[in-house]
Amino acid sequence: MKEHIGEHYIWRLPVLGAVHADTIVTTWLVMIVSLALFAWIGASYRRSQYIGKRHAIAEGVINYISDLASQSLGAAGEPFIPFFVALFIFIFLLNQFGMLPFKTVGLPFGGSPTADINTVVPLALIVFFMIQIVALRRKGVRYFGHLLKPFWWLAPINTLEELVRPITLCARLFFNIFVGELLFIIVASVVIARVKIGWFDLSLSMTFVPFLIQFFNFFVGTVQAFVFTLLAIVYMSLAIAEEH
Amino acid sequence: MTSAAFVAALTLLSFGIIIAGVAFGSAIGDGLVASKAVESIARQPEARPNIMLFMFLGIGILEAFPIIGIGFAFYIFLVVANVPSLISHLK
Repeated sequence: MKEHIGEHYIWRLPVLGAVHADTIVTTWLVMIVSLALFAWIGASYRRSQYIGKRHAIAEGVINYISDLASQSLGAAGEPFIPFFVALFIFIFLLNQFGMLPFKTVGLPFGGSPTADINTVVPLALIVFFMIQIVALRRKGVRYFGHLLKPFWWLAPINTLEELVRPITLCARLFFNIFVGELLFIIVASVVIARVKIGWFDLSLSMTFVPFLIQFFNFFVGTVQAFVFTLLAIVYMSLAIAEEH
Repeated sequence: MTSAAFVAALTLLSFGIIIAGVAFGSAIGDGLVASKAVESIARQPEARPNIMLFMFLGIGILEAFPIIGIGFAFYIFLVVANVPSLISHLK
């Protein structure tokens, strides 16, 4: 058995060139799953009296994110709350989809799409350009006045700070998920090497470690989806805040 | 010493230094965050869920930098120098 990290099935398309087929197919699957999930949760919001246990949990998560967004953004950010809720659920599902063993049974898709940098960079760019365009439309050209804020000669540093935000946003998500998958490869290489130290069989004792790594990955995937959403909300609230 | 062995040895050494620095810094940072969280929970036990939320948020933001460092260390280790194949060629 030999696993390669960072290698993907490739489709050659006429205009786009080579694309990562497994990432794209898995993202489509996640889109279907998240649309079905939102249809299911929306049904519980439309029903008036009785909701089940699972609906109550799902509504709790959605209400938590939307309360967080509406507290930070205020009345001015009311139209963008669905975007942030969808962002959280979508990234959460993208992160957790690597748990399902599609590639192990030989299907040409599987793995977390967020462990591919081509998924993460567009997500960060969507957030970045949405914030800039919304702030420009709300405030006009004087939105760029915040770059000159304490003193005019700090403008290069402020511009750099603004441009570094999407880079750190995508690097944080990408490397967390990628290193989570890398840990499996490292454990697998130790198990394959059949290391024995005296009577102690290191390889045999390492075979149960992926079980613990999966718990760690579940925690990290949830926290990183939440951090991505919360930082997007914070950047947006900084951009559209009214000046006093 | 052949040049391949030299490259493999130096890459292993730098890999160890990167992992050590990353572990040192992130351990201190996480310790600071957790100790402040415990202090504030002791001062205000009723604010516990909120404090726990911001503790996990802070750790999530903070933990990104060591993981980015580990990612670059593995990039150097496996892609730039490709130490496993260098070592297997030495035998």
